[in-house]
Amino acid sequence: MKSFKILAGIMSVVLAIVIPGCSDEAPSDLPKSDLGSNTVTKYVSVGNSLTAGYQSGGLYEDAQMYSFPNIIAQQLSKAGASLGKFEQPIWGNPGSPDATGKASRYELISLEGPVIGPRGVAAGTGTNTALARPYDNLGIPGAVLFDFLDTTDFITKATARQNPFFPHVLRSATFGKSIFEQLRNISPKPDIVTFWLGNNDVLGFATSGGANPNAPTSAAAFGALYAQALDSLRAALPNAKIVVANIPDVRAIPYFTTVGPAVAADLKGAFAISYQKHGTNGPGDGSSYLTEQNPPLLILPSSSYVTQIGTPTGKYYSSNNKPVPPGVDTTQMLGLNYLNPIPDALILDSAEQATAANAIAAYNLTIAQVAAAKNAVVVDINAIFNSIKKDGYNISGEVYTADYVSGGLFSLDGVHPSSRGAGIVANEFIKVMNSKFGMHIPYVDISTLPGIPAPLAKYAGKKFMPQLTASASKNIRDLWK
Amino acid sequence: MLKVIISCFLLFISTHVFAGGFQLNEHGARAMAQGGAFAARAYDASAIYFNPAGLGFQKQNSVYVGTTLISPTSIFYGPTNLNLGTKNEMVDQLFTPINLYASYRINDDINVGIGVNNPFGLGTEWEDGWSGKFITQKVDLMSFFFSPTVAYKVTDQLSVGAGFNYVTGDVTIQRYVSDPFDPHGKINLDLSGTGAGFSFGLLYKITEEFSAGASYRSSIKIDADGTAEFTPNRSIYPGGDAAASLELPATAFVGLAYKVMENLEIEADYQYVGWSSYKELKIEFKKDASSTVSPKNYEDTYIFRLGGEYTMDALQIRFGYLFDNNPVTDTYTEPLLPDADRHGYNIGFGYKVSDNIVLDVAYLFLQFSDRTVTGTAIDFDGVYQSRANLLGINFGYSF
Repeated sequence: MKSFKILAGIMSVVLAIVIPGCSDEAPSDLPKSDLGSNTVTKYVSVGNSLTAGYQSGGLYEDAQMYSFPNIIAQQLSKAGASLGKFEQPIWGNPGSPDATGKASRYELISLEGPVIGPRGVAAGTGTNTALARPYDNLGIPGAVLFDFLDTTDFITKATARQNPFFPHVLRSATFGKSIFEQLRNISPKPDIVTFWLGNNDVLGFATSGGANPNAPTSAAAFGALYAQALDSLRAALPNAKIVVANIPDVRAIPYFTTVGPAVAADLKGAFAISYQKHGTNGPGDGSSYLTEQNPPLLILPSSSYVTQIGTPTGKYYSSNNKPVPPGVDTTQMLGLNYLNPIPDALILDSAEQATAANAIAAYNLTIAQVAAAKNAVVVDINAIFNSIKKDGYNISGEVYTADYVSGGLFSLDGVHPSSRGAGIVANEFIKVMNSKFGMHIPYVDISTLPGIPAPLAKYAGKKFMPQLTASASKNIRDLWK
Repeated sequence: MLKVIISCFLLFISTHVFAGGFQLNEHGARAMAQGGAFAARAYDASAIYFNPAGLGFQKQNSVYVGTTLISPTSIFYGPTNLNLGTKNEMVDQLFTPINLYASYRINDDINVGIGVNNPFGLGTEWEDGWSGKFITQKVDLMSFFFSPTVAYKVTDQLSVGAGFNYVTGDVTIQRYVSDPFDPHGKINLDLSGTGAGFSFGLLYKITEEFSAGASYRSSIKIDADGTAEFTPNRSIYPGGDAAASLELPATAFVGLAYKVMENLEIEADYQYVGWSSYKELKIEFKKDASSTVSPKNYEDTYIFRLGGEYTMDALQIRFGYLFDNNPVTDTYTEPLLPDADRHGYNIGFGYKVSDNIVLDVAYLFLQFSDRTVTGTAIDFDGVYQSRANLLGINFGYSF
């Protein structure tokens, strides 16, 4: 048998010479990987948690290694860019802390349920804090558009917002007082900048059920801030390639699309649920209900409470240390009696959905117009997320969907992409860079990126209806303050 | 007796099968050395496969047994849709399909026989954890055809034959599961099943020089069941009983042979393969009544075969060529079976060891055209380069 294999090998070589068109040479039409006529020696990313590589309710090294800017940097290097190391503000595992100093990152604790939440272990510490220059990844979880140019003391700001990330990323005013100043102080000057801010200008409103803040950043303010931001960027870096991304529709992310449909599936016939309308804080109005025809967008943390629909409970108020509002009677059945409605903060009702959608439409119009005026190119992430929500994302035999956990694209907080989701985001940026700048950057092979670490526990149900712990739900909302 | 021979044979030879589509056409070294162009002559007991009518003209009882050593290689460059030209080499494997035929002459006009061979199968394996791991890691498909056959010589010029095919099939499929977890689950499916079909043929000696043959073998549906095993065994996976069905395509030969001179014969055959029966591979999991479906959408296709035989006393020199038009469209080309159009170059010889013992040896070099696919249904584009070396050996004993 072995000698046949040797003989077969010899015959292959002989016949390769004798028979035309038969050779061992690699095909000549394989894709090439290069930067076209561009030289790239520095790439810097600006943004929020999506840029930072924040996942599953925390910033931690295992996730930051797969931040979309870090993936882009690796792929740029494969195409011949001499970037050196792409420096990130690494937060050692298990990552950033919650208000009590424990790691805020959620994990899949059990597939039974499933149970998803923080493990209650001590938070990690920064591991790259001695870097004597600004980081290349300037994504700051919780940053809004305003923060890009804001030069007020970021430590004071961070304390006020209970956000540990500004001091972690910006570290010292000597590197620059704002994100922009630090970017400007990076040497050599960036040839490529990715700029993706503005998500939190609407997400804070949406993830708090339209309660805190009670409106997104206004379209006018957003327009002014965006123009200022790109003006400054373009003036500081007249020759850089600037790639911006627009704002995805919040209604496409599992934070909003998971619990609602699960509850709606139980809303049959005349069965209806009373809820607080936007801006109200008392009993339901006795005439507005969530029904099979009017399914709610319930936020992910509401999963801790919707399982109690129909029981007399004030768990939401007690768990969140909130006083029971006047007129609300927690001895009544939750949701089934208008005197004990589903709290406004757990629901994005139709009016709130429209507010968020209008804000995003206005933002994205601004982004397109300002980018065109400042010679920046746009990644239409909004269109991509909508398409994924509708049809999923199919690559190399693997199918991703926008479903919570099972879809593979989002991390356990239902807002931020998983490592593979970040790979898809990176590839969309690369696609735009390749087509607009004449580059041939290889795309990241999504199949090589890690998934969500899974416990080997049992899981009985078919649907992922998460039981988020109370502290987990609080951490999610705190991020947008 | 026959049963004993068969079971001994099966015991000793590990049988996996490689072929395209996943059809295998090497079922006797004498035919193989002539590009498989044999339906218009079907001189030996492999007629049971190529054209059952051929048995009708055979004047002795015979046993014809052999194997084919198959060494395929395949390289995938890609996935190019990720702007990657990474070279992925298929894991080396050696396959040894068998063939075993026995015929018995009941009277001057009627011969009966039985054949055992592996007309369908495939085996591909890629490096563990490669880019296509969600599509396939390893596949092994093998089938055994048990074909009792009868032939009737109607006149000295015309013979007809018919057979029944009882088929057993076994398939192993290994790949990674497209789940959100780390590490990814891996599935190992082991399924087996049986099916039945028929075949018939006729052979007509038009003149001293010309003969024509035609044969048909029906499609065969195999309903297979077995188990799906997941590693790690997370309870969200549908482990346990699983089932699939597969319809093996019908195939037909039409051939014309010509005696150029006393010791030189040539033949040309056209083989039809009804691959459009292979629409999809659907695997059903009993645990949660779920299923996975991979669309295949193969198309009917053909193989053109040309061959000849030159006789010098006890030695016969054989040669042939075949062109196998692959049934897979670009859209559905996948590493599970990296198919492409194939050119086959054949040489071989037959040696008469004694009055009733022959040794046949055939060599076939299968050159697959380089295949560049884009816009594939599974978003796995790239360039496939494949080839295969095949060596067939048969012994014949007639009495």
